[in-house]
Amino acid sequence: MQALTKALGEVAKVVLGKEDQLKLALTCLMANGHLLIEDLPGMGKTTLAHALARVFQLEYRRVQFTSDMLPADILGVSVFDPSTQDFTLREGPVFTQLLLADEINRATPKTQGALLEAMEERQVTLDGVTRPLPKPFFVVATQNPSDQAGTFVLPESQLDRFLMRISLGYPAPEVELSLLAGGDLREQARNLKPVISGDGLVKLVGMVDKIRASHELLDYVQRLLEATRTDDRFVAGLSPRAGLGLLKAARAWALISGRDYVVPEDIQAVWAAVAEHRLSARQGGSVSAMTQSLLQSVPVVRR
Amino acid sequence: MRVYQVPTHTRLWLVMTIVICSLPQLLRGPGWQAGLLALIVILRALADRQRIAMPGRVVRGALMVGIVVLTFYSFGRIYGAEAGVALLVSLFALKYLEVVRQRDAYVVIVLGYFVCATALLFERGPGMFAFVLFCMLLLTSCLVGINHSDTGARPMGHIKRAAAMLAQAVPVMLLLFVLVPRVAPLWNMQVDSGKARTGMSDSMSPGQISELSQSSELAFRVAFDGPVPANNQRYWRGLTLSHFDGRTWQQALPRGQDIQDYLFEKGQTPPPWYQLLMKAGRGEGYRYRVILEPTERRWLFALKVPVLEQGQAGLAKDMRLVASNPVSEAMAYTVTSYPNLAASLALDEAERDLMLSLPQQGVGRRAQGLAQQWQLESSTPQQVVNRALRYFREQPFYYTLKPPVLPVDPIDEFLFVSRRGFCEHYASSFTFMMRAAGIPARVVVGYQGGELNQVGSHLLVRQYDAHAWSEVWLDGRGWVRVDPTAAVAPDRIEEGVRAALEESNADSDALASLKSFASSGMLGKLQQWVDYVDFQWQTRVLGYNSQSQMQLLRELLGAASPLRIALALLAGIAVLLALYMVLLLRRDRGYQQTVMEREFWRLHQRVGSMGEPLDAGMTPQQLAAHIAKRWPAAAEIARQWALQYQQALYNPAISVDKRRIRHLRQLRNRLYKLLD
Repeated sequence: MQALTKALGEVAKVVLGKEDQLKLALTCLMANGHLLIEDLPGMGKTTLAHALARVFQLEYRRVQFTSDMLPADILGVSVFDPSTQDFTLREGPVFTQLLLADEINRATPKTQGALLEAMEERQVTLDGVTRPLPKPFFVVATQNPSDQAGTFVLPESQLDRFLMRISLGYPAPEVELSLLAGGDLREQARNLKPVISGDGLVKLVGMVDKIRASHELLDYVQRLLEATRTDDRFVAGLSPRAGLGLLKAARAWALISGRDYVVPEDIQAVWAAVAEHRLSARQGGSVSAMTQSLLQSVPVVRR
Repeated sequence: MRVYQVPTHTRLWLVMTIVICSLPQLLRGPGWQAGLLALIVILRALADRQRIAMPGRVVRGALMVGIVVLTFYSFGRIYGAEAGVALLVSLFALKYLEVVRQRDAYVVIVLGYFVCATALLFERGPGMFAFVLFCMLLLTSCLVGINHSDTGARPMGHIKRAAAMLAQAVPVMLLLFVLVPRVAPLWNMQVDSGKARTGMSDSMSPGQISELSQSSELAFRVAFDGPVPANNQRYWRGLTLSHFDGRTWQQALPRGQDIQDYLFEKGQTPPPWYQLLMKAGRGEGYRYRVILEPTERRWLFALKVPVLEQGQAGLAKDMRLVASNPVSEAMAYTVTSYPNLAASLALDEAERDLMLSLPQQGVGRRAQGLAQQWQLESSTPQQVVNRALRYFREQPFYYTLKPPVLPVDPIDEFLFVSRRGFCEHYASSFTFMMRAAGIPARVVVGYQGGELNQVGSHLLVRQYDAHAWSEVWLDGRGWVRVDPTAAVAPDRIEEGVRAALEESNADSDALASLKSFASSGMLGKLQQWVDYVDFQWQTRVLGYNSQSQMQLLRELLGAASPLRIALALLAGIAVLLALYMVLLLRRDRGYQQTVMEREFWRLHQRVGSMGEPLDAGMTPQQLAAHIAKRWPAAAEIARQWALQYQQALYNPAISVDKRRIRHLRQLRNRLYKLLD
């Protein structure tokens, strides 16, 4: 637990003034889920991914998505080797522990699909041969808000593959001031001290499942899910998979908070990040505000 | 043609329901019906699995003709209750073969409601009623089932839903039962009249009643308004027999009189004897209600002298009740019996002649001689009666269920040789001797005694209580009951037939069969309860006829006018609907809070009432933080409360016990004091 706090502290050195988002990103990592960061360019998405990889000593690769990219550019390709008179697989960038998929919405749906499938299955099938991806395997995808020109919007079914979506947003004035005064943050990120090894991370991820949740808590989660389904402001409610994700994220959050059981605050803390990108409004309006309002109206303790 | 398939989850239920609904008819009716049903079920199952084509018009037409022919063959006709129901049940099964569209499935199910109700034409006990209810449950669950698609349906869920629907219908059913006017003719359908029943016949010859004594079948039940008379006073008269041919006693009318003079029925001009009877002083009486099992006979059973209060029957001159039609289904009647009323009747010449008549053939010559000797030695008829009874008492007579057969002379052989007999032998020979001694006498058959049901304190009179005794005419006292059996076996009259037979070893096996009817202990108690339920059912449900309905409605509504009945019906249904609505609304919000949940909401409510309303979605910690912000003095207690609460509710490692709840409550009370 101390290691986790320390890790958070390290990352916070390069992503300034975003403690909550950092904790969510860490939670996502612990819950064995993939993270989508939605933000305008230059908000520090890449720095965050970089810092996470460094602190956890993860093998790290970065792919910049473009519209002319093909699935093979990510997954890999078989090439003929004249010396052995045989085809050998040249692994694509996806064979890594932490993949930063930059501007995922710039790629064509076909390429997006290839990546998202790999994320879900945690394995890649090429020329009929199935190869597992390394453990842990963690994708941090970034995207520009979809109203920007030249993007392919991720469909809802694809968005569901991401456990969480967060956005960093503009820094607070005083933070920005110190940011301006400081040096190159990305350079600093490369020099962060490793805190936990990749194997240590796998162990921590295993611990998440041992965090206990009482019947009353599960009941609360269920009523929250139910509320998204009966609320006619949403096109559709949350799926059971989303519910499982919510609980898992809350477990990870409880672990980071140093508890071995989940409390409603854990659910509420991860709620927006887990639920928002899976819901869409029926008649416009802010999904964020609607999702938040459910937290206020659904009784935590059953009445 | 695409065959409509009942959803798989309901198909089995539907077949099962069809079979169960037909079950009463299958058990009652001819055997070919079961075979037919099996054939149809198999054909349909094969068609559903596409092994064979769906039977076409020709096959179905042939089956249809076959059914009609077989029904005619079995019953001799295709109308009437029994043949009609048999036909209906067969066609009901055939209809299952025709289910092609969903609408057809509806038809089969709706027909099923009717089919299972026809079972009540033949048997109306509480058991059958429960069975019909069960059929309705199955039918309704099939209705629920065929309205579900194949995905996500559970048969047990259908049953539950159907049960809920039926449960909601029950109050309406009761309301309709009480209020809707009884249409009598519809139910007087003379079902299975002429069927042989165990019970009294209209004559008495040796061996008849002892045969009846082997049966424990129920004859009738009696509920007294006041105290129940002693066993030796309970002589339930059914018939008087006045013509004796040497072997058999039969009913007879005095010469020159016809039935109108003898039997007074409602709507006729009362004959003189009836007018006399009504004018006479009555004295004290027993009021009781009799529920008579079907006998297929017209006579009813009552104590002497019955005056009918409720029910439809006439009174015969020999002081017994006669129904206007054979009793083919359980019948209830209320009677008050006045024992002293008997004295007011007169005996005219023709009647006296009949009551003194002896058989033409020469039976009982020795008995006649003995009787005449008694007559000479006595000064009053009463003395003759006493001599006769003393004779029975003092000579070695035995009371037995298995008397020897007396083929030549049933009177003399019995009186002087075998001296072993059942009540009919005693009654017969006694009456014979009285007539020989010049005393008008007749045989009465009926039942004597009856067993008291401890639960309902009503009497059960069974076939083995059948009895025969005598009545002699004593001037000034009228017809007087004399029971010669009492002289031989007093136990029979005091305690019943079982006690009487216990003493004679010869009857041990007959006794064993009787004993099995009356077990003691738990089983006996259970039997009494079953009988009690059955009796209540007979009186309250089946006995609720148009007469008692009108009486009840007059009591409830003031007057039983159609307008009032209609209004009461509407009001009743409106009340029921309103009740359902309230229940429905309550159920929507009717979650039962646990102690812990109440604990939170009490504090939530208290804090909310003291400032702006709070969000429902507050966690305990947030509530504590809110308190701390507004009442800084309470911050520490609030923090403790929230911590304790969170631990109790969300940490599975901590068990919620009384001590912890008490602690939480204390903290909350301390908080209350700090919030002003």
